[in-house]
Amino acid sequence: MNRSTAFQFRSGNSFFHRLDPLTKLAWLVAISLLAFGAYIAWVQILIALAVLFTALALGRISPLVIFRGTWLFGIACVSFWVIQTLTLPGTHVAFTVLGHPIYAESADYALASALRIYTIILSSLVFVRTTDPRELAIALVTQMRVPYRVAYAFFIALRIVPTIEAEIKTIRAAQAVRGVVRKRGLASRIGEMKRYAMPLLVGSLRKASMMVMSMESRAFGAYPQRTFVESPRMTVASYAVMAVMLALVVTWYGALAFGYVHSIYVFSGA
Amino acid sequence: MELAVDNTAGMASLRSLDVNDAQEITVAPSSVRAAMAAEGSVVDIRGISYAYEGEVDPVLRDISLEVGDGEFVLILGPSGCGKSTLLQVLNGTIPHTLRGRLEGDAFVCGKSVVETRVASFATEVGMVFQDPEAQIINTLVRDEVRFGLENLCRPADEIVARQTEALAFVGLDGFGDRSIFDLSGGQKQRVSVAAVLAARPRLLVLDEPTANLDPNGMAEIFGVLRRLNREASTTIVMVEHRVDELADCVTRVVMMDRGSIVFDGDPRSAFSKRRAAHSEEGDAVPSSAWFPQAAEFALALADASGTPAPSADLPLNVDEAVRFAEAHFASGARAALPERAAIPPSEKPLLTVRNLSFGYERKQPILTDINFTLGEGEIVALCGRNGSGKTTLARLLVHINAPPPGTLMLGERDITGLSARDISAEIGYVFQNPDHQFVTDRVWDEIAYGLVVRGYADHAIEERVGEVLDIVDLKRYRDKSPFSLSLGERRRLSVATMLVLEPRLLVLDEPTIGQDHERAQLLMGLMARLRERYGTTILMITHDVRLVAEWADRALVVSGGRLRFDGLPQAMFANTDLIKEAGLLAPPVFEISCALAAERPDRVQPTLSLPHLVDMITGTEGRSA
Repeated sequence: MNRSTAFQFRSGNSFFHRLDPLTKLAWLVAISLLAFGAYIAWVQILIALAVLFTALALGRISPLVIFRGTWLFGIACVSFWVIQTLTLPGTHVAFTVLGHPIYAESADYALASALRIYTIILSSLVFVRTTDPRELAIALVTQMRVPYRVAYAFFIALRIVPTIEAEIKTIRAAQAVRGVVRKRGLASRIGEMKRYAMPLLVGSLRKASMMVMSMESRAFGAYPQRTFVESPRMTVASYAVMAVMLALVVTWYGALAFGYVHSIYVFSGA
Repeated sequence: MELAVDNTAGMASLRSLDVNDAQEITVAPSSVRAAMAAEGSVVDIRGISYAYEGEVDPVLRDISLEVGDGEFVLILGPSGCGKSTLLQVLNGTIPHTLRGRLEGDAFVCGKSVVETRVASFATEVGMVFQDPEAQIINTLVRDEVRFGLENLCRPADEIVARQTEALAFVGLDGFGDRSIFDLSGGQKQRVSVAAVLAARPRLLVLDEPTANLDPNGMAEIFGVLRRLNREASTTIVMVEHRVDELADCVTRVVMMDRGSIVFDGDPRSAFSKRRAAHSEEGDAVPSSAWFPQAAEFALALADASGTPAPSADLPLNVDEAVRFAEAHFASGARAALPERAAIPPSEKPLLTVRNLSFGYERKQPILTDINFTLGEGEIVALCGRNGSGKTTLARLLVHINAPPPGTLMLGERDITGLSARDISAEIGYVFQNPDHQFVTDRVWDEIAYGLVVRGYADHAIEERVGEVLDIVDLKRYRDKSPFSLSLGERRRLSVATMLVLEPRLLVLDEPTIGQDHERAQLLMGLMARLRERYGTTILMITHDVRLVAEWADRALVVSGGRLRFDGLPQAMFANTDLIKEAGLLAPPVFEISCALAAERPDRVQPTLSLPHLVDMITGTEGRSA
C-alpha cells in the first residue's frame, strides 16, 4: 500500500533489462568515468542526454519514476550550479545580474559540475531499476569468481533494504501515535535514530535469525560450489555496449592526455 | 497412535503425570519400540531436555516423541510452552545453529540430530516458518523453489523438472516468473511450501504457517497440506493454533505445557476433556482458547444436559457437531427465544466518518466514500481481506495518513485539522508489533511518556502511571526495560501507553496476527475492562472470526476500498456472499446453529454465542431468563 521507492529493481523486458548485469555495471563505471573526466558543459549535456535517452528508451523507465528518484538531487544540483556560477572567478563577462558580473567560464564550469552529479545519480537509477540484485550476485559468482556465500550476502543486503525501509515507516507511524513529534535539526535526528534503533535492531535480528534457519534448512553452504540453473550470459548486445563504452572512455581520456580537448575548449585561447 | 515411553527418564516423566493423564499414555516395551523404529519411524526422540545458551531454565523438559511414516501430527500448547523449540530440534537447528544444552537422544529419518549438520537434513526434512517475509530469500518464485536443489548441486534439468512439479502441487503452475512480493500472503506461504517440497522431503515441519494469513490464505495452505499427507504420504509435524479447521484432518495431537508433553494421542481423545495449560507468565489458560469450537460445544452440551462427556463420538467439525446435538434436544417443545443483547446499542455517537475518500495517488483511490458512526462504549470489528483498505482507514483516524478536511467528527468537533499529538490524546492506536511503539528504556517512563510530552504535573503523572500499571498488572516491572518483557507483557504495556491518556477511542491493529488466540483473548478481556471503567470505544481490525463473534457489538466490512457492510456480526456471517468477498469464514458455532435452525426452527435460532446455543438445545433458556 505504501509507495515504493524509485531506487528499486522492477522486472521488465527493455533492452537494458535483458542486458547482463556485468555489462550494465561496466556501463555505469564508464558513464561515471566520462562524467568525471568532462569539465566542459556541452560535453556534460551530451552525456546527460545520452543517459536520459538510455533511461527512457533503453530502460523503459517512466518519466515519473525518473522524477521521483532524482528530484531531490536535481534541486541540489541546481542550487550548486547557481552558487558556483555566482562565486567562481572568470575573465569573460557574459552578463550582469544586479550589477554583479557573471562570467562565461564560471557558468560553464558550474553547469558541468552540477550536471556531473545529476548524470551519476540518474545512471545509478537506471542500473538499480533494471538489474535484479540476484542476477548481479550470480554474475559475480559465475563470471567474476566471487565465492557464492559472499555474493549472497551482498544480494540479501540489497534484498532487505525495502523491508527495513517499510519497518522504519511503521516505527515512525507507531511513535507518532505516541506523541513523538519529528523536528528538524541534527540533534533531534540523532534522538530519532536512537529511538528507532532498538525496535529496528530487535526486529532485524529476529528476521536475520529466521533467514539463517530458512537458508541452512535448504542446504545453503553444504558444498563449496552450487548449481545456478540460469546464469546471466554475455550476448552480442553486451559486447557491443562494452565496445562502445570502452571506445568512448579511451577516446575522451586519450583526447585529454594528448591535449586535443584543450585545443578545442571554447575559452582556452582567451 | 500412542506415545511410547521406555527409557528410565521417560518412566520418571510418566510417574510425574497426574493419574488421569497417565491412562492416556501407553508404555511400550523396548522390544516394541525397536520394532517400530525398524518399520521406519521418521522421528524418534527420547528424553530430550534443552536450555537456550546462557539460560538456566530448560525450555524442553524430558520430551519423548515418536512419529511414524505418513502421520499428520498437530502440536498444540500456549505461547512459551516450547512447541516451536521442539520443531527446531527436528532438523538440527538445535543444537547446531541455536546452541545451548541439549540432553537425550534425537533421531530424525534415522540420523542423529546431534551428529548431523543442518544442511544434511535438507533432502529429508522441510521446514516452513510463520513469517513469509523473513523466510523467503529470493525475489522470483522460480528462484526460491530452486534454491535448495541448487545448494545441493543437482543438475539443472532435474532442478527445473522438480520446480515445475512442486509449484504444480501447491497450485501455482505458471507462477515461476512472478515476483514473490506481488503475491498474496497465502500464495507466498505456498511458495515457501513448494520451496521445501522440491527436495522431496520425507518429513515436513511447519511452525504456525498461517499465523500471518487471512482465512482464505489459511484455507489454501491447509488444503495443500491435506493433499500432501493423503496423496503423497508425506509425514507432517505442525505447530498451529487454528484448530477449528485442522482438528478433523490431523491423525494425532500432541499437547505441550511448560516444556513437557502432557497429552499424546488421537484428536478425539485430545479434545474430549478440558485441560488447563499455562501461559508464559504462568497464568492458567482455559482450554476454550485453544480447543476446536465443535468439541468445546459438545463438552458444554454434555455438561448442561448432564450426560457423560463424549469421547469416541466427540465431534471435530460442524457436521459431526450437528449430529451430536440432535441426540441432545430436550424433550418437550419450547420456542426459541432471541438472544439477549449483552450490551445495549449506543445512542450517543462518538466518531462520525463522513464521505471519506483517500488515496496516495489520485488515480488509485484506496478508500472511496466511507460513511459510518462509532457509538460510545461500542466494540466494533473492522473486517476485510488483506489489502482491502482497512488498515489505511484505521490509520486515517489517528492521522498517520492525513484525512481530508471535514471527514472525521469526534462528537461535534471536526478533528481532521488536529496534529498527530493532539489526536493521540483522543484516539489511541495499538500496533501489531508492540516493540514499534516503545520510545524509552524503562516501563515506568514508557507509560509516563505521553503525559510528559503533554506537560502534565509530576504528581499527576505519578498518580496516573501508578493506576495504569495496576490495570495492566505490570507494577512489578516498573524499572525494567520494555524489551525485556515477554510478548504478552509487551502487548499489555503498549496498551498501557495509550491508556494513560484516557483516549475515548482505542484502535487495535490485527490483535491476533502472529499471536495465539489465547493472547488475543487476554487482550480483549483487558479491553472489556477498559470499556467498563472509562467507557472507551474499541475498534479492532481483525479477521479472527471467533474474536468477532465473541466480542464485537457491530461489524464493518471493507472490500475494494468501499464500506460493504455495517451491522450486527451475526447478520454479517449470515450473508454468505459478503463473507466470501471479505475472505472470512463463519465461526463453527454459527454454522452449527444455522444447520440446527434449518432442521428445528421452533427450537434453535442462528447464534454466535456458544452458551446461548447450548441453552436453546437443552431448553434451559426460558427458565434462566
